[in-house]
Amino acid sequence: MPFAVGTISARVAAAPDESDLIRAAQAGDQDAFERLVRAYDQSVLRIAMNLLRSPDEARDVYQEAFLKVFRNLHSFRFDCSFHTWLYRIVTNICLDHLRRRKVRKEESTVVETVDGPMDRIGQVPERSPHSDPERCLWNTRLAGKINGALEALTPRERTVFELRHYEGLRLRAIGDMLGTTEEAAKNCLFRATQKMRMNLEAFV
Amino acid sequence: MSCEETIQEIPLYCYGEVTAEAEENVEAHLAGCEKCRLELARYRVFLQALDARPQIAEAGLLAGCRAQLRVELARDTDGRAHRSPFRAWAETLREFSRMHIPFRVPVGAMALLALGFFGARFTPEQFGGLGASVAGPMFSTVRSIESDATGNVQIAVDEVRRHMVSGKPRDPRVQELLLSAAREESNPGLRVESIGMLQNNSDSQAVRSALLDAVTKDPNAGVRLKALEGLKSFAGEETVRRTLASTLLHDEDPRVRMQAIDLLTAHRDDALVGVLQNAVQKEDNDYVRARCRRLLAEMKASLGTF
Repeated sequence: MPFAVGTISARVAAAPDESDLIRAAQAGDQDAFERLVRAYDQSVLRIAMNLLRSPDEARDVYQEAFLKVFRNLHSFRFDCSFHTWLYRIVTNICLDHLRRRKVRKEESTVVETVDGPMDRIGQVPERSPHSDPERCLWNTRLAGKINGALEALTPRERTVFELRHYEGLRLRAIGDMLGTTEEAAKNCLFRATQKMRMNLEAFV
Repeated sequence: MSCEETIQEIPLYCYGEVTAEAEENVEAHLAGCEKCRLELARYRVFLQALDARPQIAEAGLLAGCRAQLRVELARDTDGRAHRSPFRAWAETLREFSRMHIPFRVPVGAMALLALGFFGARFTPEQFGGLGASVAGPMFSTVRSIESDATGNVQIAVDEVRRHMVSGKPRDPRVQELLLSAAREESNPGLRVESIGMLQNNSDSQAVRSALLDAVTKDPNAGVRLKALEGLKSFAGEETVRRTLASTLLHDEDPRVRMQAIDLLTAHRDDALVGVLQNAVQKEDNDYVRARCRRLLAEMKASLGTF
């Protein structure tokens, strides 16, 4: 789960004076607001990007989420952590995008090529010059399959799976973000892993 | 605990999301069951394989998002500052609407008269036809100070004011400002925003030139991607195709090259063979290389030059 460390370190780094920052931002201090954004925006963009696999949509989610935070920060009452509040906003916007996409039946980011299924968005060079080309090709195909399998999940299952598997968040926190119980998030993760495994059976 | 129950628990057990009691039960069962241990090992391989999904490069995207957010926040703050008198007025109106109807009619007529009178005096003359408002001076610099015989002081002040210009993106004045913002070197967020607005009017020659310029010269990949989007419907034109071919061969960002090859492949063009062969040789992005190879195969051309 490669992303978990980054998320946790961002949170720990932001923790000591976070409530002071929030209060200052609530009082209209732009600099404090910008520091709050900087503490979380990398993980917000990463979640949006991983969930939506589209830089344009991730950019929209980023803007919409932080503008919502800016406009509604005055109503934040410290009932939950700022992190949970922010992620709730982000995941809800991402869920809306995923649902709209299901309705529009948008073109998949995974395309069939002569080398097998490939994810248009994930194709950023990550090979080292000494890596085995066959292994690289296999990984590329597997990555395409994984993204295909993720796209087959329902928006809710996909969100829970991304947040648990790739972001390393606990199911209790995910339940809080999605406005549901830990038990419901657990069932969702279970269904998602079952479907993923079924879809990737030939590969792993 | 039975084998079936253990296998049901394995996914959540691997994520450390079962209760302490369930964890003990699973481990007790695993200690004595070879078949379930094998299933657990297989499940762990599956979870590990899921990490083969590549991370998405986001450095350029993050910088673009931050810059754009700054612009949006400034606009939002300005909007609030401008909205507040309107809100106050709207609230007064709401109060007024609660009054009794016979009293509302003459007061309403007076209000309309006043609106016409003051509206005529305060409509800004700049940007003929477009809605515009002039804020107070943002920056001012005193250039010279002189006193005259009467004891008055004359101060020459240079002032920079912020004007809010609004109108349809097709309005010539708005388009001119968007074209100027698209060249704003210090602010990539503004360039992304303006290119995004301009891309819907790419039938204008000036806009198309600005988009082509942005594709070839803008240092920010987000801006180049936005500009490419705007050129989508002109991907069949020769100038645009030449720019796309050069982008495919020379742009350093794989996302931009992916967009370029997608646009190039939308129109079959045998003159592309050389470019595609070059790209296959030097391209290190799997998706772009695969698209080039496929296109060459469709054109019945060889993969390399001899």
